[in-house]
Amino acid sequence: MTVKAYRLPRSLPEALGLLEEHGPELLVMAGGTVAMPLINEGISLPEAVMGLRLAGLDGLERTGDRLRIGATATLTQLLNQDAVPMLREAARNTASWSIRNMGTVGGNLFTPPPGGDVAVALLALDASVTLASTRGDRVLPLADFLTGFMRNELAEDELLVEIGVPIRSEATAYLKLGRKHANTPAVVTVAVRLEWRRERVADARIALGAVGPHAIRAREAEALLIGTTLEAEAIAAAADAATQGCEPFTDGISTEWYRRRMVGLFVRRALEQLTPGTREGGR
Amino acid sequence: MASTIISFELGDREVEVMVRPMTTLQAVLRNQLGLTATKDGCRQGGCGSCTVLVNGEPMLSCLLPVEDVAGKRVTTLESITPAEGLHPIQRAFLDAHALQCGYCTPGMVMVSKALLDHDPAPSDDSILQALTGNICRCTGYRPIVEAVRRAAGAMSGSAGEQAR
Repeated sequence: MTVKAYRLPRSLPEALGLLEEHGPELLVMAGGTVAMPLINEGISLPEAVMGLRLAGLDGLERTGDRLRIGATATLTQLLNQDAVPMLREAARNTASWSIRNMGTVGGNLFTPPPGGDVAVALLALDASVTLASTRGDRVLPLADFLTGFMRNELAEDELLVEIGVPIRSEATAYLKLGRKHANTPAVVTVAVRLEWRRERVADARIALGAVGPHAIRAREAEALLIGTTLEAEAIAAAADAATQGCEPFTDGISTEWYRRRMVGLFVRRALEQLTPGTREGGR
Repeated sequence: MASTIISFELGDREVEVMVRPMTTLQAVLRNQLGLTATKDGCRQGGCGSCTVLVNGEPMLSCLLPVEDVAGKRVTTLESITPAEGLHPIQRAFLDAHALQCGYCTPGMVMVSKALLDHDPAPSDDSILQALTGNICRCTGYRPIVEAVRRAAGAMSGSAGEQAR
């Protein structure tokens, strides 16, 4: 352990001040479920760390038609809310009880695949992120925040402070394939949200996890669904497009080959769950 | 940076320790306080053998800088073990043969304690869900689930006749 200073700011202004003072040398940590293993192993050797557990960023509340999730709200808090069922499902399928008590929603957005599943649900829900600095706040869509493998739009003096999620009534589907039933990184994660108008798909979101450098939207597949009644051909076309458009990789959880096959299958299953008149859990 | 003094509640006593920055709760418990029931397994948050309760909720002490628990209530296996005999959960683990090497047992017992505090009559599914973060390489888990069932029964005083 080589950490020379561990700062625990008690407020956001204090945290932003420390960030401005120390710059990128200051490792920002929230729940510690990603940073601490690296520090324990000596893989990450930060001189100074800022812990956000006491910074007062852990609120989770419904304001009108939005769910406002403080960046350090835990995955357990996400599991216990009922405003957005898909987020409950995403939390339930992430890690274990102890890890959910520690890991945060904001931290999950910095967790590289095959982790970081909450981002998959948040992408399908059109979530936005609020980035704060002593220069002021800015809000941008999560889809624009995630830019590459462990890369994002966050500037050196900024902190992710809040995630905003529109609360809508549309049916959603969230499926995660892992190597076991729970507490597993993803082979593939699929989150789908459809807007309907006169029995046709008016808008679609299909988000994928563990098949790209970060959680991604399958935009071509989304576009193919618009105007359809979600008939079998449309589902097959969307599943194919999602398969073509993603970048699966090989790691200790799965091979690229297997992930590529599972993407299409799980996109299809998710869409079938949302097909009118179809029973959930079809093949 | 110089060491700092951190105090927290441990079981029924207040403890004060002097630590280097970001010393883990696990290291404080084992190395400074000599409380070795909390195990030092993977230090990655992957095995659950270092599980303790912080304000009654299970957390992994290997991932927790001790500064983060300042002023909080930490419960370890030592905290719940009575001066004489065993806690009902420990008794149930013994009776159900829910341990062989015993390395995972303190973590298993602490998660089980948190589960039964939240839900005195958990379903089998709840038990499995609660224990997913704790790895056992000996038992195959079935005796552990059985032990939690028995503990639930014993602690509710109805001799194991719990709703499944």
